[in-house]
Amino acid sequence: MTGPRNWLTTALTRLVAGIAIVVPAVLLLGASPAAAHPMPHSVVQLDVYRSSVAARLELPVSDLSRASGIDLTETTRAQLPSRAAAIRTYLLKHIHPTTGNGKAWRVAIGALSLSRTRQTSTGPYRELTVAAVLTPPAGADVRHFTFRYDVIVHQVVTHVTLVTVRQDWANGRVDGEGTTQVGTIELDIRHMRVPALKVDLGPGSAWRGFVAMVGLGGNHILTGTDHLLFLLILLLPAPLAATGGRWTGLVGPRRALARIGGITLAFTAGHSVALAASSLGRLDIPSWPVEAFIAASILVGAIHAIRPLFPGREAVVAGVFGLGHGMAFSFVLAEMHLSTGQLVTSLLGFNLGIELVQLLLVCLALPSLLVLARLRVQPALRLTGAALTGIAALGWLVDRLGLPNPVARAADSAGSHTTALLATLALAALAATAWTVAGRLRARPKGLDPAPAEPGLSPP
Amino acid sequence: MSRERTRQVRTRRTWRGVAGAATAIVLVGGGFAVANASTEGVKKSDVGVQRPVNKKAKGVAGVVSAANAFLNTLTSDEQSATLLDFTQANATAWSNLPCGSSCRVGVEFSSLTTDQIAAAEAVLKEALGTGKDTGYQHVLQTLAADDVLASAQATSSAGAPTDAPSDAPTDSASADPSASSTDTAVPTDAPTGAPPSGGTGGGGGGGYGSSQYFMAFLGTPSATGTWQLHFGGHHLAVNITYKDGKVVGASPYFTGVEPSSWTASDGTTVAPLNRFRDGMLKLTASLSTAELAKAKLSESFSDVLLGPNKDGDFPETKEGIKVSELSAKQKKLVLAAMRPWVADADDATAEKLMKTYAKELDQTYVSYSGGTGLDTQGDYVRIDGPSVWIEFVCQDGVVFRDQVHYHTVYRDHTRDYGSEFSFS
Repeated sequence: MTGPRNWLTTALTRLVAGIAIVVPAVLLLGASPAAAHPMPHSVVQLDVYRSSVAARLELPVSDLSRASGIDLTETTRAQLPSRAAAIRTYLLKHIHPTTGNGKAWRVAIGALSLSRTRQTSTGPYRELTVAAVLTPPAGADVRHFTFRYDVIVHQVVTHVTLVTVRQDWANGRVDGEGTTQVGTIELDIRHMRVPALKVDLGPGSAWRGFVAMVGLGGNHILTGTDHLLFLLILLLPAPLAATGGRWTGLVGPRRALARIGGITLAFTAGHSVALAASSLGRLDIPSWPVEAFIAASILVGAIHAIRPLFPGREAVVAGVFGLGHGMAFSFVLAEMHLSTGQLVTSLLGFNLGIELVQLLLVCLALPSLLVLARLRVQPALRLTGAALTGIAALGWLVDRLGLPNPVARAADSAGSHTTALLATLALAALAATAWTVAGRLRARPKGLDPAPAEPGLSPP
Repeated sequence: MSRERTRQVRTRRTWRGVAGAATAIVLVGGGFAVANASTEGVKKSDVGVQRPVNKKAKGVAGVVSAANAFLNTLTSDEQSATLLDFTQANATAWSNLPCGSSCRVGVEFSSLTTDQIAAAEAVLKEALGTGKDTGYQHVLQTLAADDVLASAQATSSAGAPTDAPSDAPTDSASADPSASSTDTAVPTDAPTGAPPSGGTGGGGGGGYGSSQYFMAFLGTPSATGTWQLHFGGHHLAVNITYKDGKVVGASPYFTGVEPSSWTASDGTTVAPLNRFRDGMLKLTASLSTAELAKAKLSESFSDVLLGPNKDGDFPETKEGIKVSELSAKQKKLVLAAMRPWVADADDATAEKLMKTYAKELDQTYVSYSGGTGLDTQGDYVRIDGPSVWIEFVCQDGVVFRDQVHYHTVYRDHTRDYGSEFSFS
């Protein structure tokens, strides 16, 4: 009776492998055409906070030098600080946001840096990046303003500046990826003057912020390989029994399910508590110890999957290490400079997103976990998985302690193939279910009468 | 095993056989059907509408005849890609960028056979000026320049970039300890590695090369109606508008070039825009210090003002030195400087336009920005009259980074696109 099973297993394995190859390939091939400009343009990228707007200015050095009279074309990293005062004075003369009725905003110019980049059709060129903060007068609306900005274009009249928004919580833009264009600042050629840009970011609402945060939370756990890996590696030996410092035998489906539920719940409780506490307390925790702690947690999980370190107390471990993962989640919120009201809403939405996706992933992994435990190749699979996870965790740990390495980079990049990951998990779940059902059908007594369904999962 | 079971197995086998046969029939039959349909399709679309050709026709009738001869070489699909409505959207669909069909309309040379391209070039030859290095000759040189650019870029993307610019410092600098990632990724000035945006260096779904030029007729070519010859690609936009058998507009005409000069395989040096540039150089060289001071613009330019999508945006106030203040000799130089651009149109039309511009010469202004050498990024000259508008600007090379490259545009305040559209 091994014929059909082998056939089924091979087919399913091939299917999974095929999909795992095809999905990322399709993702990689989908390139989008970009807008073309003959000469490099400036970009003013806005992050809209509750009471201020952070602007990131990307200024092509060639046109900037010509317009400002400050020649930066030969300036090096070491020399830039000596030009910083002149650059700031020049920029302050040409950036004037005002309220609708003409009251001036405050403008502060922060860090400057030089880099090399290129836009479509421009060839490589040097660019000055400037951090600025635009603050309206007390009580004035941060979402509607008149942007009088003529950096470069006051002199180089063919220069174009694109104004974009990257982050705008109240408008549902929270992921910091991609931008929406607000407008273009360029010469009105007929009148040879530069009109101000009316910036209207819409009314914004807490609901849009909340919904966006749910999405961000879900996406964060899906693409943050480390959180997911920690949970899955703890769940891996859940259906196994530990005797004498080894994983031997099975604990039965009910017990396994209870363990998986317990570990997941404890992890959820741990990271939720830490996330809420560090966000609401606005704790300024340095990120590297937290990241290192997370890497260590995965390493411990991987070792536990090889040899039981704390059998039966996985839930406690998940809860304690969960605290560290929650702190890491809070960094995402801290970067967003939210008001307390926005923060509470964000916290709810973000955590909801995390839990929903986590639940989905655990449910998808469940059938495979239960079936894998029963396969003859279980020890080999478990050891391989744990070893790979352990290597990734070591790479991360070394990276977080200040030594970037290819292992950490590879492990991080795994998080960008979410579709492939989900597809693989889903197919594995289907395969596991199919395998279980097939096993049961075979276990049915011969004859025409169907046997009564057995409770729980039966070995094939 | 029960008899029942055996019967079941047999039935299943029979069904499998039937299903397999059916599938085979469907597949094979479907294949035949598709193959037949596609050959029929080719035959049908092969036959485009045939239009009258009169090889002895001259002037606009000659252009119409050449246009018809070209259309006659096209399949009906290609004909419908070429023959478009004379709308503002189609007429203004041109660019100075290698943006391929994303910014242009018409049939692309890359989809045509050698014979078809020859027929298309015959249209240009009939429609454009016969002057040396202007008109038709200049258009062919511009296409050749794009082939030089394409092969240079192919070489550079294969890992051997053209000379790294010597003017830029080698250490990409940062005053901020958190240096951006592009900084570390590309520490030298050589354009190595993949561009962070746009994919292929050409960008915008296009690229360089003479096969990426597009020809369209907006409206039906005829010696009586209104229509436009619309031809262009990277660094070129030709728009000749016909109405009732006459040319009513020879602009907008964008012409640029990179590399600005190169040695062809026969050893000759080709420099498509040098004749255009030299006229401007003679003009500015004739100006006295005082006249130069008057002509100098306070603004700087890194491109032409009235490039693509800037239709009708002529500045309301003319700037620079008024030609009426210049000597008779200098006035002749102003006219001579205009001629290479105006000579894109057929010779008779060019003469007519030049007469108009000569009449308006005293109300025409000459201005410049940057240096007068036309050899450095930002060097810029403009001629702006009641009708004529010509801009010439120098930019740093994109592929040949040790050379400047030129962008120029010729417009007419009232005759762009045959004054068919009002851009208010």
